[in-house]
Amino acid sequence: MRRTYLGEFEELVLLMIAILDGRAYGVTVSQEIEQQTGRVVTFGAVHNTLIRLEEKGFVTSELGGATTERGGRRKRLFKVTTLGKNALADIQQLRNKLWTLMPDDTLKLSGL
Amino acid sequence: MNTPQPPRWAKTLLRWLHPENTLEEVEGDLDELYADAFERFGRSKALVRYLLNVLSVLPPFVRRRRSKRKYEPSFSLSPDMLKNYFKIAWRNIVRQKAYSILNIAGLSIGMACSILILLWVQNELSYDRFHARSGQLFRLTCSAGDFKTAVSAAGMARGLQSQLPQIKRSVRISKLNAMLFEVGEKKVEETRVFYADSNFLEVFSFPLLEGNAATALKDPGAILITEETAKKYYGTSNAVGKTIRVNNNENFTIAGILANSPANSHLQFDVIIPMKTMAKWNSDLQTDTWNNFNFYTYLELDAKTAESVSAQQRLSQQIAKLFKSRGQDIQLDFTLQLLTDIHLHSNLQIDLPGHGNIQYVNIFLVVAIFILVVACINFMNLATARSERRAKEVGLRKVVGANRYQLVFQFLGESLIFSFLSLVIAIGIVYMLLPIFKMLTEKTLTIHLLDGKLLISLIGIAILTGLLSGSYPALFLSGFAPVKVLKGKLRVAGGNLLFRNALVVTQFVVAIVLLVGTAVVYKQLDFIKKRNLGFDKSNLIYLPMNGELAGKQQALKASLTQNPLTENFTVISGLPTNHETGTIDVVWDGQTAKNQVVFPSFDVDENFLKVFKAQVLAGRGFDKAFSGDSANYMINEKAMQIMGMNIGNAVGKRLTFGETKGTIIGVVKDFHFKSLQYAMEPLVLRLNKWGGLVMVRTTAGNNEQTIKALEKINQKLNPAFPFTFGFLDKDLDNLYRNEQHMGSIFNLFAGLAIFISCLGLYGLSAFMAEQRTKEIGVRKVLGATVAGVVGLLSQDFLKLIIIAIVIASPIAWYAMNKWLQGFAYQTTLDWWVIALAAILATGIALFTISFQSIKAALMNPVKSLRSE
Repeated sequence: MRRTYLGEFEELVLLMIAILDGRAYGVTVSQEIEQQTGRVVTFGAVHNTLIRLEEKGFVTSELGGATTERGGRRKRLFKVTTLGKNALADIQQLRNKLWTLMPDDTLKLSGL
Repeated sequence: MNTPQPPRWAKTLLRWLHPENTLEEVEGDLDELYADAFERFGRSKALVRYLLNVLSVLPPFVRRRRSKRKYEPSFSLSPDMLKNYFKIAWRNIVRQKAYSILNIAGLSIGMACSILILLWVQNELSYDRFHARSGQLFRLTCSAGDFKTAVSAAGMARGLQSQLPQIKRSVRISKLNAMLFEVGEKKVEETRVFYADSNFLEVFSFPLLEGNAATALKDPGAILITEETAKKYYGTSNAVGKTIRVNNNENFTIAGILANSPANSHLQFDVIIPMKTMAKWNSDLQTDTWNNFNFYTYLELDAKTAESVSAQQRLSQQIAKLFKSRGQDIQLDFTLQLLTDIHLHSNLQIDLPGHGNIQYVNIFLVVAIFILVVACINFMNLATARSERRAKEVGLRKVVGANRYQLVFQFLGESLIFSFLSLVIAIGIVYMLLPIFKMLTEKTLTIHLLDGKLLISLIGIAILTGLLSGSYPALFLSGFAPVKVLKGKLRVAGGNLLFRNALVVTQFVVAIVLLVGTAVVYKQLDFIKKRNLGFDKSNLIYLPMNGELAGKQQALKASLTQNPLTENFTVISGLPTNHETGTIDVVWDGQTAKNQVVFPSFDVDENFLKVFKAQVLAGRGFDKAFSGDSANYMINEKAMQIMGMNIGNAVGKRLTFGETKGTIIGVVKDFHFKSLQYAMEPLVLRLNKWGGLVMVRTTAGNNEQTIKALEKINQKLNPAFPFTFGFLDKDLDNLYRNEQHMGSIFNLFAGLAIFISCLGLYGLSAFMAEQRTKEIGVRKVLGATVAGVVGLLSQDFLKLIIIAIVIASPIAWYAMNKWLQGFAYQTTLDWWVIALAAILATGIALFTISFQSIKAALMNPVKSLRSE
């Protein structure tokens, strides 16, 4: 199977969407990243990545219903597709495999 | 609680620059983030973050979401649309059967015509192109003033080749000979026989099926025959080494079997004999003369000379110089005629028979295009006339989102379906008509559908026809404004009507020009046939003196005299059809400069004037009573004029013709001894001392008995040779075969062009009648007569036809005058020919319209008005 390429930040955003499980949109994703990793990112970076992930077919989006919040502006909610889930699973699996291949002292040397 | 709001200017900036399709969600998200940051870090930090965030979603940093529309417009080539187009096209064809039949019939007949003509043209253009080096092969031709011939002298081929390095190879061919061939009991006189130099097969690419090409024509006792000839004599093509007896006096061994001469070769042969055989008795060949012009010389030039016209001109000048340097004082011009030009571009005398004419090729190409255009016009006309029926469909398609290109595509596609359907039918028609067409043209035409080139050109014709005929309806129909169309009334625009009328006029212009053409061709043929040749050509039967007859002239004359049926005879040197010999070596009394005009000569006996019923203007004919006549001459009027004499003083003048000195004893009224394509030439008549052929004048009704009598004489005196005879008037008619073919082909295509035009007119008149049903109903109720209504309906078309006549007349006049100029003797192009064609076209058109107009006029007004 051809491995799908996912950048580091893309992977991060995709994971956040998966974590948020249906509540993911620009604001929640940004906040979650800040909360979980401590990284402060510009909204533009998140926005662009979301669009790119959708173009790649890892997520789908649809506009939520209009609410009285935020001046009646609709949110764009994101969901992970099967392709996205598989991609995440693949990455996870690969990491696990590589970790098991690592000799024990390597870990110790790294000072963890 | 009031949520904190970011500054308005930043928001304005965002709204202004951020992509529109993501603005809503981004604006909301940014507001939310601002409010969150405001709560957590305070106003200033929230503002900094907000501004950074806004900046990050402005171009060029922002990524644009590709707009995804709710409804994808259907791609015009998507399978669903294609299916729909086909369905609609098919429904249209089926629903309007009469209209479809008219359309397809017109188009397929038009295409069939074009295909037939193209086959013919292709055949004409393919002549002599099968030779491997056809681009480098030239024929040496020479001309003395207006007398242009295809022949050259026997010694020239080798002489020129040795002195001019541009000439790589040369080969001579004798004129065609008739010889008697004999194998066992089988005796046939073959006419397609010539002598050829030994390198004939090297220069020309005629395949040798059996035998050795390098040596086949070297041995004087050898002979080459074609496969067909071999089968005729031996029943098998495996005949190498067998013997064949020629002219009842010499046996030849068959050295090889040639493939049958291709139909598209100007050299047509059944038997080829080595030139060495001829050299045994022919003095031209023995002396390598540069004086007697009796052979066809073909030269292979090097590639450089063959490519450049100026190099060829230089070469022919060099040839003329060489010719002069051999002490020849006659002024001759030499030209090099490209092998592939011989068939179509040759108008030389003393040439091999069976030439085509480039003029006819061009004329027929134009006719083919015209007929196709007429058929396309039909289609356009009917399609636009019927456009109202499809207007609603166009409107609806537009309303649901079709753009103009899709509609144009649809209608062009539909006309392509029509044209390809027609192509299939046309190919069927071609297969059916091919035998008839072959008979008309006397050509071996074949259609190989699997031949890639032909297939491509056929498909090309279909596509061209489809696009041409579909273009106007497509542009016209697709231009409808949906609102107007769907509201109901669509007035057919005046411009459209004008265009349709112009198309009808064009059709009839073509039809009338073709009609006039046919009439003029026939009139000219008739003129030639009926023209007084200067002698009575009817009831003249001739018997060539073959074999032993030549040696038994006295006995022959005696037997002919004995029978009252054959007693009226004369012995002449050749037929007055295409007379071939001539000389410029003529000296007469009172001559001021050396003669440069070719004087043909004709050897006749004392009975000639009586048998041919030729007229003597001055002096007398040859007569047995005068013993010195063998050195005397008769001349024709033309010769008299050239020599600057008149009827009063010509007789008694001295004349030296060739080597023989003599006296002019009589002047004969001009009679034709060549095709009427050539103007009258001077002629010298000599007393026949050697033979040639016997011409017998019979009386009407006695022909068969005379032939029997001649056969008996032949059997008695010349038992080894089969009896051959001919009618002079038939031979004369055969001179105009080419013109006759052209006439019949023209006739066929003129008829078809008119038929196709009428198909269109029929459809159009049906449509007009239908449109005016109510008007006619009202008129009838108010008292209009049937004749009045018919007149009303015919009037419109009549106007168009009159315009067509006005346009066509000068075109036809000009074109036919041009054609007639090719003849030295022309019929007059009378105004009534054009008038007749015009009346005929009008009559046919009115007849066609009458079907619909009478039907419309007879309709019960109650029926047509009931629904109102």
